[in-house]
Amino acid sequence: MNLEELKKLKEKAQRQVALREGNKKYRVVVSMGTSGIAAGAREVMKTMLDEIEKRGLEDVEVRVTGEVGLEDVEPVIRVEEAGGEKTTYARLDAEKAKKIVAEHLEKGKKVDNLAVGKEKKPE
Amino acid sequence: MFEELSLHILDVAMNSLTAKARTVQIMVSEYARRDLLTIRIQDDGHGMDADTLRRVLADLTTTKRSRKKSIGLGLALLRQTAEMCGGEFQVRSTPAMGTTVTASMKLSHVDCPPLGDLNATILTLCAANPAADVQLHYLTDTEHFHFSSKEPAEKKVASRPNPFWSGEEKMNYEPGRTQKVERESAAAGCLA
Repeated sequence: MNLEELKKLKEKAQRQVALREGNKKYRVVVSMGTSGIAAGAREVMKTMLDEIEKRGLEDVEVRVTGEVGLEDVEPVIRVEEAGGEKTTYARLDAEKAKKIVAEHLEKGKKVDNLAVGKEKKPE
Repeated sequence: MFEELSLHILDVAMNSLTAKARTVQIMVSEYARRDLLTIRIQDDGHGMDADTLRRVLADLTTTKRSRKKSIGLGLALLRQTAEMCGGEFQVRSTPAMGTTVTASMKLSHVDCPPLGDLNATILTLCAANPAADVQLHYLTDTEHFHFSSKEPAEKKVASRPNPFWSGEEKMNYEPGRTQKVERESAAAGCLA
């Protein structure tokens, strides 16, 4: 850890706060409980934030939640769409997170081989 | 077991945000001369009473009733790391006032984990609750760094138009109201 790195933090935090405001089409919720963190949820989160910024996706917000009861398949994220549709992705890493940003959040195409559980269609 | 101290910080500070803290102060000091690394996470959340505190310090206890599968290892893991590295661990909490978690380690201890990516931890916490003020104080023998997430956020909020109160509505509604008030006060002036 050095001070130069920390100084970059300020600019970065400002940019990310600016990205997150308002109603968005997609909301990504990252499970950030103890088990999620231990499995690498922070790296997944960081990769997603970086990738969303790099691709200039403005209609996405990234939030955090506690344990979601899927400890054995962490890191877990949930992508919620404005229409109410929810998709859960599990056993992620940085590469898979990038893929989800590129496919689901940019093109609107679900990444079926990473998704788990039943689809929750809006009622 | 966490490989980086910054992951411990993230885990404990997530508890602070869950406890509805408005300010989370994270202090990390690395004093090479005194061979001491100290981490302090201080919040103004809803705190814990003595009984709850005793329970959370025991292994495998969580206060989160909503999740049947919650583990409750966060503080126990940090205590284990601190004690393994020749340091101390302390939690102080007052209901409605907040909680302070302090852990210290010997910097030179062979088991002392690296601090790791502290930036990623802070950015994650900022994203976790944009309304909370996440502060970082990083101290070494010679340098001091301070960060607060509230400074940029507040400026941003101030310049944002309120979606529930558009300018148009204000134009239609406000003048009549103020005129009426003015008339009343003018009438009051005449009477006086």
